[in-house]
Amino acid sequence: MTLRALDRIGMGFFLGLPILWIVLFMLVPYGVLLTYSFWIKSYPLFEPAFQFGNYLTLLNEPQYLSVIGRTLKIAVIVSVTALVLAYPFAYFLVFRLKNVTIRKVLFFGVIAPLWVSYLLRAYLWKTILGTQGVLNSTLMGLGIISEPLDIFLYSQAAMVITLTYIFIPFMVMPIYAALEKIPRNLDEASADLGQSSWTTFWRVTVPLSLPGVVAGFTLTFCLCFGDFVAAFLVGGPDGLMVANVITSQFGAALNWPLGSALAVVMLVVVLAIISLSDRFEQRTKVQF
Amino acid sequence: MAKTTPLKTILTTIFVAAFGMPASAEGELSLLTWEGYADDSFIAAFEAETGCRVSATYVGSGEEIIAKMAAGGGVYDLITPASDITRLIIEAGFVEPVDISRIEQWENIYPQFRELDNIQMDGEYYAMPYTWGAIAFMYRNDAFETPPTSLAALFDPRNEGRIALWDDKSAIYVAARYNGDTNIYTLSDEQIAAAVETLIEQRPLVRRYWSTAGELVDLYVGGEVDISNTWAGYQSALIAAEGIEVTEFIPEENAEGWMDSWMIVDGSADNACTYPFLNMQLSEQGQCGVANVNGYSVANPVAARNCMTEEQFVALHQDDPAYLDALLMWQPLGDRMGAYVNAWNSVKSQ
Repeated sequence: MTLRALDRIGMGFFLGLPILWIVLFMLVPYGVLLTYSFWIKSYPLFEPAFQFGNYLTLLNEPQYLSVIGRTLKIAVIVSVTALVLAYPFAYFLVFRLKNVTIRKVLFFGVIAPLWVSYLLRAYLWKTILGTQGVLNSTLMGLGIISEPLDIFLYSQAAMVITLTYIFIPFMVMPIYAALEKIPRNLDEASADLGQSSWTTFWRVTVPLSLPGVVAGFTLTFCLCFGDFVAAFLVGGPDGLMVANVITSQFGAALNWPLGSALAVVMLVVVLAIISLSDRFEQRTKVQF
Repeated sequence: MAKTTPLKTILTTIFVAAFGMPASAEGELSLLTWEGYADDSFIAAFEAETGCRVSATYVGSGEEIIAKMAAGGGVYDLITPASDITRLIIEAGFVEPVDISRIEQWENIYPQFRELDNIQMDGEYYAMPYTWGAIAFMYRNDAFETPPTSLAALFDPRNEGRIALWDDKSAIYVAARYNGDTNIYTLSDEQIAAAVETLIEQRPLVRRYWSTAGELVDLYVGGEVDISNTWAGYQSALIAAEGIEVTEFIPEENAEGWMDSWMIVDGSADNACTYPFLNMQLSEQGQCGVANVNGYSVANPVAARNCMTEEQFVALHQDDPAYLDALLMWQPLGDRMGAYVNAWNSVKSQ
């Protein structure tokens, strides 16, 4: 065997493994999912078929559209809340905080919860928001309320709080990275040209950090859109999300074809959002 | 024996990690069951006696058993579905017949269970009855001056925000009974629609649709709810252990009943540990074992008589066949199951 042939085998192995991985663990499962979505439910299980009945069910039965609508609503609220909290925080870290050590500590303070199990963190919110939880005891201790409030837990508000807390690192990281890349002399140039720091912020900093904002928003939104743990742990009677319905179709209803159709719809929504955000990012990109 | 190359080892490791272990090796018994049904308190002795090693995977709902079987459940030897899905599991071909001549105490099982149509097909048995109970209702003693006796308490605005209901198609059964439809397992589309209406009206009163045993316990212990349905005997004991007094009751509108049985996954009858395990579970060791852990009634009253105290025997209604006969035992819903589940989903998606 020549050295070149060996080289080629090595290269093939190097490139082949990831391709095999993608085909085996991404493309094939997606294909299976798509195939199932055309099958038909038939007692006791389901049968192969090619028909659009499952998709028609999703359109015709109001429960599916209303659940998709609710999921979109919660994902938007969480993403906006996370943005409003994350942007000033990242801005403060990058532009206002002079001490590098404190900056690092604060940044890792936001990222660190990612190392703790998602389930555990969601579960913790139950103990905070409950009727006899930390929040109610504190408010009562301060004399702000006299009776414990039950609005905090088992409500859509509880889901928004939990999801915002869990996904905010995905908002902070890209915004922080985008802000850090902005050359400081642009600030000085703007000031030299007589612009107030407020104008500089809106006309220089914000436009240049937009790619980070879009990336953060997309990540947070898509993660929220597919979440089912928050509804399961802290959601109320009105907390059902799309992912919970999919779970139920694969479990309780034993209707994998319908569950697959719903999963395909979800995938399409997420892909549409990602490609939109990609296009937006391309347009707002600035070369230094 | 084939030579083991490093590549083969790596591939095997990857595939085992990705797809799970192959079917049980000799002397091993793999269960897909409910928590408590393979509790160490009585399984350890069985393992020591027989040399069979028992490993259990726990499920949270009967449908999870079906889903796992449908996805290729050959890794399990025994499963314990409830009586509403045994028929589906038989017809789907997931299990093989139980040879009742090899079950020593078969004749001691309640005749009501042995005669059940749901566990037989073509003259053969496919399940060994094990435990049973009611989907009873439960309230917190200090929350009610007059103890509730009817389902009406779960639909009463005065209990707003203090009600929990099981997140299951069972909610449809509850609402149908409240509406006066007692044929809960053969509801027409109109009756299901009426149940959905009732549940939608009730929803603002509900604090939480609970899904796991532990969750319902937390709801009571955390002071979130005062009244709910419950798996009779199980959660009330856990709540009492936390120092909160609750009372179980069967409402005027009656309650559902369930029966769990052991089924042999297709291909596992040959496992030498299968029948010794089934016989142990139906004997005093298994029957009192599970009754002590989960607080459920058991299928073999003769064994129960031998190993239970008089109080436990009475508390679990083992002395009173009329109690069992009065319950609305879960029936297979057949191709109507989707209608029930989707109706329940539509309540939650409003």
